[in-house]
Amino acid sequence: MKVSKGEIFERVFLNEPDIDLHIVQEAGSRVKIHVINLPGDARDSRTSRNSITIEQLGEGCTTELYGLAYVRGDEKVETETHVLHSVGGGESKQLFKFVLADRAQGGFYGELRIAKDAQKTRTEQVNRNLLLSREAQMRTRPQLEIYADDVQASHGATTGQLDESALFYMQQRGISRTDAYRMLVAAFLKDVLDTLSDTHQREELMDAIDRVVE
Amino acid sequence: MKPLLEIKDLHATIAGKEILRGVNLVINPGEVHAIMGPNGAGKSTLSAVLTGHPAYEVTRGEVYLRGKNLLEMQPEQRAREGVFLSFQYPVEIPGVSMTNFMRTAVNEKRKYEEKEPLSARDFLKLMKEKRALLEIGDKLQNRSVNEGFSGGEKKKNEIFQMAMLEPCLSILDETDSGLDIDALRIVAEGVNRLKTPENASIMITHYQRLLDYIVPDLVHVLADGQIVKTGDKTLALELEEKGYEGL
Repeated sequence: MKVSKGEIFERVFLNEPDIDLHIVQEAGSRVKIHVINLPGDARDSRTSRNSITIEQLGEGCTTELYGLAYVRGDEKVETETHVLHSVGGGESKQLFKFVLADRAQGGFYGELRIAKDAQKTRTEQVNRNLLLSREAQMRTRPQLEIYADDVQASHGATTGQLDESALFYMQQRGISRTDAYRMLVAAFLKDVLDTLSDTHQREELMDAIDRVVE
Repeated sequence: MKPLLEIKDLHATIAGKEILRGVNLVINPGEVHAIMGPNGAGKSTLSAVLTGHPAYEVTRGEVYLRGKNLLEMQPEQRAREGVFLSFQYPVEIPGVSMTNFMRTAVNEKRKYEEKEPLSARDFLKLMKEKRALLEIGDKLQNRSVNEGFSGGEKKKNEIFQMAMLEPCLSILDETDSGLDIDALRIVAEGVNRLKTPENASIMITHYQRLLDYIVPDLVHVLADGQIVKTGDKTLALELEEKGYEGL
């Protein structure tokens, strides 16, 4: 699909399996996409594979890609993004967070390419992951190819566990371990949820996350 | 008088290493006890064991709080029974606001006591009242728990939480460390004002300094995992003069 000159495309994909998007952006257009995977009631072993490709073909485009996945049981969520800056003065921002419980598996592959003529491009790609069990697995692979010399490009990928000292601190104040877990997971995901334009949806998702954390 | 806390022959290990080697201590309501001792004596281990830190294993002994077996309880249940630890190193929790944290803690305790949760209005009123006690500004409540707080702010925040939760047994672990004289005075005044005939506190400290502000009824010296000497407040002065080797 194409987002025409100066237009805005905004979409929240909530629990949609196997997203496959290819978007071409014309000059000055804006794209904002959220990919959200929360567990359903059925504990099956489904796999979601999402692929998003963005090509900034016109000058001064902005792209925002956000991902939030809470994966449990034997589920698997893999997301790949391809962001291609062909011309200068564009911006892209990516923030993907995975929370993996039980034996869940997550994958993030982020390809970012800044072409030789795409000067003054500004990009940021962040992938942060939280493992709630020893058996959960996360694979993360950022891939940056930068051919222009006057750009700002930052990226970071981290995978960690819940802070045991914070859990104990909260328990020492009378908060149950389960509630402490919930609060810390919500805190971890907060910055992604904060990017949702629809505040009503933001609150619904916060409640939904509260319900799934055990 | 029924004791508030009874510790009998308490032994505890961390990673297989024995740190507490038979601690005995009785604390009555209304009392302030100071526990002093050299580094590595087991002072912080004692506070960790009393609050149920998972890294420590109790290998022998018993602990009763108002006659209830404390060692059988989860950390959160001990807290709801009224055990409060002012941490030596308060933990930063990014993304969890002080208000949310404190409201959850206060209401969990109320639920345990079969009381209705506080309304948002009453809760904020309580926060305001207790903040004033510690001379804490209202900026604090919107910030994440301890995140970016200075050393002094963290310690004030601990005593603020103590004021909110009204514990029956407060353990102040090295509360004076890292405090300048003004912060020390505010923290000590806060602790003194929270004192009632029903509650008690244990002050774990290296130095006499804090005891100038919060006067203990009894001073214990912990060395090599045991209480080796007990005296009144003059013992702290004696230790300050002669050091632990002079015992």
